[in-house]
Amino acid sequence: MNHTLLLEGVSKRYSGHTAVDDLSLAVPPGTIYGILGPNGAGKSTTLRMVMNIIIRDSGRISLLGADPEKDRSVLRRVGFLPEERGLYKKMTVLDVIVFFAQIKGVEAKTARAEAARWLERMSLGDWRGAKVETLSKGMQQKVQFIATVIHQPELLILDEPQSGLDPVNQEVLRDTILQHRKDGKTVIFSTHNMEQAEQLCEHVCIIAQGRKVLDGRLRDVRRENMGNAYRVQFDGESPAAEALMAAGRFGAATREGEEWRLELAPGTDTRALLAALNDLDAPLVRFQREEPSLHDIFVSRVAGAAQTRRVEVAHV
Amino acid sequence: MSNVWIVLKREFMERVKTKSFLLATFLFPLFMIGLNVIPHLVGGEETERHVVVVDEAPPGMAQMVVANLSTPREGRSYKLEVVRKPLAGLQASLRERITRKEIDGYLHLPADVVTSSQVAYRARNVSNLGVMTDVRRAATQAVQETRLRTAGLQSTDVRALLRPVEVSTARVTATGEEGGSALVTFAAAYGMAFLMWLMVFLYGVNVMRSVLEEKTNRIVEVLVSSMKASDLMLGKILGVGLVALLQVAIWGVLIAAGLTLAGQRLKTGGAANVMAGLKLTPVAALTLLSFFVLGFFLYAAVFAAIGAAVTTDQEGQQFQTFAMVPLILPILFFPKVIGDPLGTTATVLGLVPFTAPVANAMRLGSTEIPAAQVIASLVMLALTTVLVVWVAGKIYRFGILSTGKKASLADIGRWMRAA
Repeated sequence: MNHTLLLEGVSKRYSGHTAVDDLSLAVPPGTIYGILGPNGAGKSTTLRMVMNIIIRDSGRISLLGADPEKDRSVLRRVGFLPEERGLYKKMTVLDVIVFFAQIKGVEAKTARAEAARWLERMSLGDWRGAKVETLSKGMQQKVQFIATVIHQPELLILDEPQSGLDPVNQEVLRDTILQHRKDGKTVIFSTHNMEQAEQLCEHVCIIAQGRKVLDGRLRDVRRENMGNAYRVQFDGESPAAEALMAAGRFGAATREGEEWRLELAPGTDTRALLAALNDLDAPLVRFQREEPSLHDIFVSRVAGAAQTRRVEVAHV
Repeated sequence: MSNVWIVLKREFMERVKTKSFLLATFLFPLFMIGLNVIPHLVGGEETERHVVVVDEAPPGMAQMVVANLSTPREGRSYKLEVVRKPLAGLQASLRERITRKEIDGYLHLPADVVTSSQVAYRARNVSNLGVMTDVRRAATQAVQETRLRTAGLQSTDVRALLRPVEVSTARVTATGEEGGSALVTFAAAYGMAFLMWLMVFLYGVNVMRSVLEEKTNRIVEVLVSSMKASDLMLGKILGVGLVALLQVAIWGVLIAAGLTLAGQRLKTGGAANVMAGLKLTPVAALTLLSFFVLGFFLYAAVFAAIGAAVTTDQEGQQFQTFAMVPLILPILFFPKVIGDPLGTTATVLGLVPFTAPVANAMRLGSTEIPAAQVIASLVMLALTTVLVVWVAGKIYRFGILSTGKKASLADIGRWMRAA
């Protein structure tokens, strides 16, 4: 399989600590790939190494089939949004977008037409002649985003793209990412926001302290990390049901509002459980296996990594 | 389109479009023209100086001084009043008249002037070199005339004998042409050094800021992942440099036009006079221009390197001064260079790229530099500029690559290739 991005045993050490430690990952083409991890996990360092902004100490990187350290031209086919944003403050919105398009090899004329189209789409059409410094922060973010995608890259690499965006603009960003995916392009982004990743990604890679914790298709990751807990709910109160749950014949049950959370004992056959529930005097309205959220997986897998980091994650 | 060109265009357009560029470009010539024209306009009344001659000297001497000073020289003229009384009794009233601005000053010829060779000139303003020359010449001639007459020479012979010699200066060139007075070539060398210093200072700092802006604004990550750092540096230096050259060109045209217009009104000859005075051959003018342009780019590159190496404006300003030293250095050797423009000092200063632009401007003003030297110097200057641009790019790239890590030799090798 031809991967859009392939990392093999990539490491980056700074004096005193290892930012990225023997990291391997594979991004298949045409997907939305999320690199997840707490602050300081090495997400930005990884993406910067891919973009040849910093140089890896060891390992192999193949970006669109080439090593960006040896073949710089491959980077023109990538749109990169760095974590720390910045534009030329004194330039006009249109000029700044055209400049970024040109350094990626787009002709000035094409760039101007494309920029105008994008500005309309992002409802910034009236601002094209305004200086960047007169724009609000949210608008500047949009301009930077346009500057990232203006050259129609095959691959988008977005480092914490949603940070600093208000809900409306987060929605705009989401739509644009999905549109890229629809156009058959690949999007890689880093985030520590699990909910967002869950909505967007097809593939994820969770890293903590520079090491990979897990990676794969989101569906598979969920299945592999599925617990053995079930949600059970009846229509109305039933003393018989209470008794059955309290008896603990099938496993430990805890009441959570209207429903029970039943942690099935190992070896329990769900068919026997269902039969028992069916025999009760109250009708069963819910019987569902509990699906772990990415956040749950993340917390449980990264928990061992570092106590302090978990605190940061809890805030998201 | 190459990245150098894209960067160059951005740097150029963004600067030319600013109000400060327009202001500086059009106000500076006005200022310079004003500086030249205003003294001519107000000069008429100011140049007549009212001087009292306090005469205690042997008879006749005061008259000789008065006669000498009464001939107007270079627009200066004197209204003289001879008082034959001892200075001691007059001093207080003379001082008062000076403070009341009734007179400009007084010249005291003491009784023993013939033996002591001392006269005293007291005035509100003694900084005018022309006036001092006039006074010295008049007093000297009077004293010498008196001495010679005492020795028995006839008065008519004496005046003829003492007529001062005027020295006219001119250069002999290979083609036999003459031209360029010493004063004008001195002024040209100084003017060039000053202009270069001014432009390097204004625009060099501009290049440095531009490099720093991208580092502090975080645009750098997008830039270095899109192009080579040396392309970025070269584009910047050329872009900012062209703005500077455009400005100098506009200044030159405007000042020349302004001076010519004013010159026609005031009958001073204006710019044409200055140009005629320079009498540079076309080849020499072209050489001068080449040294100016290349010299400017070299220093712009040095400033780009400083911008790449530092992280704040303040830090950059500390290095700025050091970078300027080689530019000023030839000025310190001015007498040596002018005195022997083909001597060792002048030749070395003319070949070292960092001192060549100013040193050669001085030499060009006073002599013809051998073509081989000019070519060697220009080639080295150009190569050094390219080298400094390259180094600036590496420093810039290294700063981003090496954050917080001690580099091993192997690392540096890889960085060199990557940068």
